[in-house]
Amino acid sequence: MTPISRRSLLKSAGIGAAGIGLGAGGYLAGQESAEASSDGTGSVPFYGEHQAGIDTPAQDRLFFAAFDLQTESAAALRELMREWTRAAAEMSAGELIGDVNDVELAPPDDTGETVGLLPSNLTIGFGFGPSLFERRGLGLASERPAALKQIPALPADELNELESGGDICVQACSDDPQVAFHAIRNLARIGRGTVAMRWSQLGFGRTSTTSRSQDTPRNLMGFKDGTANIKAEDTAAMDRYVWIGDEGPAWMRGGTYLVSRRIRMLLEVWDRSSLEDQEQTIGRAKYSGAPLGGDDEFEPLDFAKTQSSGLPAIPVDAHVRLASAQANEGERILRRGYSFTDGVDESLGELEAGLFFIAFQRDPEKQFVAIQRRLGADDALNEYIKHVGSAVFAVPPGARRGGYVGETLLG
Amino acid sequence: MNRPPLRVALTALAVGLLALFVAACGSSEDAPAGAKKMSFKLTDAGCDPHDAKAPAGPIDFEVENDGSSKVTEMEVLDGETILGEKENLSEGLSGSFSLTLEEGEYVLRCNGGDEEDGTLTVSGKLQADNSPEVEAAVAQYRKYLEKNTDELVTETKPFVAAVVAGDVAAAKAAYPAARIPYERIEPVAESFGDLDPRIDARENDVPASEFEGFHRIEKALWEEGTARGMAPVAKQLEADVEELAQKVKTVDLQAVQIANGANELLGEVSASKITGEEERYSHIDLVDFEANVEGAEAAFDAVEPLLAKKDPKLAKEIEADFEKVYATLAPYRRGDGFVGYEELTKADTRKLAQSIDALAEKLSQVPAQIVS
Repeated sequence: MTPISRRSLLKSAGIGAAGIGLGAGGYLAGQESAEASSDGTGSVPFYGEHQAGIDTPAQDRLFFAAFDLQTESAAALRELMREWTRAAAEMSAGELIGDVNDVELAPPDDTGETVGLLPSNLTIGFGFGPSLFERRGLGLASERPAALKQIPALPADELNELESGGDICVQACSDDPQVAFHAIRNLARIGRGTVAMRWSQLGFGRTSTTSRSQDTPRNLMGFKDGTANIKAEDTAAMDRYVWIGDEGPAWMRGGTYLVSRRIRMLLEVWDRSSLEDQEQTIGRAKYSGAPLGGDDEFEPLDFAKTQSSGLPAIPVDAHVRLASAQANEGERILRRGYSFTDGVDESLGELEAGLFFIAFQRDPEKQFVAIQRRLGADDALNEYIKHVGSAVFAVPPGARRGGYVGETLLG
Repeated sequence: MNRPPLRVALTALAVGLLALFVAACGSSEDAPAGAKKMSFKLTDAGCDPHDAKAPAGPIDFEVENDGSSKVTEMEVLDGETILGEKENLSEGLSGSFSLTLEEGEYVLRCNGGDEEDGTLTVSGKLQADNSPEVEAAVAQYRKYLEKNTDELVTETKPFVAAVVAGDVAAAKAAYPAARIPYERIEPVAESFGDLDPRIDARENDVPASEFEGFHRIEKALWEEGTARGMAPVAKQLEADVEELAQKVKTVDLQAVQIANGANELLGEVSASKITGEEERYSHIDLVDFEANVEGAEAAFDAVEPLLAKKDPKLAKEIEADFEKVYATLAPYRRGDGFVGYEELTKADTRKLAQSIDALAEKLSQVPAQIVS
């Protein structure tokens, strides 16, 4: 019997390979160069020095999940990471996972909803939460990085325990929502019995650019978001702010730390505030994205500039001022967040929507926590947002072909 | 009961989706070794051919909708028991299912056709190629099945007597003991057409006029606080469980059916016990939960020797996962029963559901292992 594959089905459905550019070998398994095409045919290599989905261009859709370990066995964790790595590499290459997809009496290994869909730049990344290192049976306590601490309580937090934390996280990003969903669903299935999903978040639109090749998207407040973000092309900034270097531990070299925050936006309140209020709150012009007092989206933020009234052009409590490197001892973070909605708030009848914030950095305490402490205390934006979920994960370096993600820690 | 009912006519392999895949790949699916292929067309008139003959043994039914908008499914029945079917074949679609049939007359039904029912005449002897291990597995499960239907009859009697006597307290007390044996073997009961809905339908599963059986009485006792008007329902229930006990004595069982039955029982737990839907008035859902798991375990035990030959590691893992499920359930035990469903927190039900999911994921691999 001919093995079932996503590609063969696609071809037989009459989509000629050359017709949509598959001829370039865009998503052959094992391709080590990215095809950044956004028409669905592009794929991002799974294996490499760093895990995919950090410095690779931000895709349009996210499905993020946090899992709790159901075992205290290090061998079981190792086996899980091996199986997850294998499946993640297959899915990233646009292939069905597993070997058993056509045995009549057996449930197929792959759940099947991506059959006929393109790779859509799927990236899958894994991280380890602080609670994982506290599970005694695993014997990992001595390997815990000093920088991997629970995010402390911060001003303006209203965290829900069930939307926070987790032993392991998986970030799946893709330009096709069904491809991202399929990734998490299948990894959860593979892990059943070893891990259980603690919480998950679907994101429907990227709110950051991570590459100069991308336009700046708007968040749900209608403002351009991520203008001043670190861009992957700026490798010096990536090395300085994102990738773990000599500071160790050795198993984290080439990795980074992921902080996620589920930020609920009070959109009904925001929508009632005047354009001027909105712009003063953010510190940028709503439509052009230019800093207040400036003309161009990408011009540097000039915090010394004053209006004719003598007041600063960018107010002292504006979001961009408090979040800027200048206000934070030069610290920056790589943001890669997504807009979300989960329907209607049961108790208020209002839109349950906002920003699922994701940031990558070398030291969460010095970077995210320090910045958020400042923002939580004084940011004018606090009137319109609530931080309801929080988590931090150590993201190990990428896997080499034949190895697995987490091998530097568990191997 | 399930909604829609999953039937235990488990020799029917749901290969429709696979057939689509394979067609798209441009290759062809090999039929089970030695299976006879029979082709049927769905037409407005009914099945074409309307009647057919076949030798006893494995048969592949290949069904194609030849442009009928009103007939979209074909069933093969033994009396009123559906053995296999292919549904949702709209115009231009085709699908297939497989059955192993012994000598006899079966109904070929194309629902909605001008002449719905035709006859499939099967002749000759079914070759018994079952190994002693398979025979032993079937015999072991058959014993369990009959023990539980006997227990169902025995335990239903005092329940019915209390309902007929109008003794609400005694009826409530007798209810869980009658539910347990039924929940252990439910997939088999579901293979007998309308017997399962008569015994075990929940409100809204069936038209209001047909709402009877255990759950109609449950509703009267717990919600209405009376057994008034329930005597005829109770007597019918008693007759129905006796009919079930008779019918299972002659039911044809295959090892794969038994393994699939275990999966269905866990599917029941996930779909209606862990959600509190099954026993929505008495809230004894955890009693049913345990009975479903016990039934699945008994089915697994019967086929485990077959599995252990193929994949001893999987067999051990499943054994361990059953223990984990019981351990997860243990804190909720109170005396002979369990805490009521309404006392469970979301964290409780999540833990229970996850332990079932972990077990069921592995158990679902068993049927393919024991046939190949």
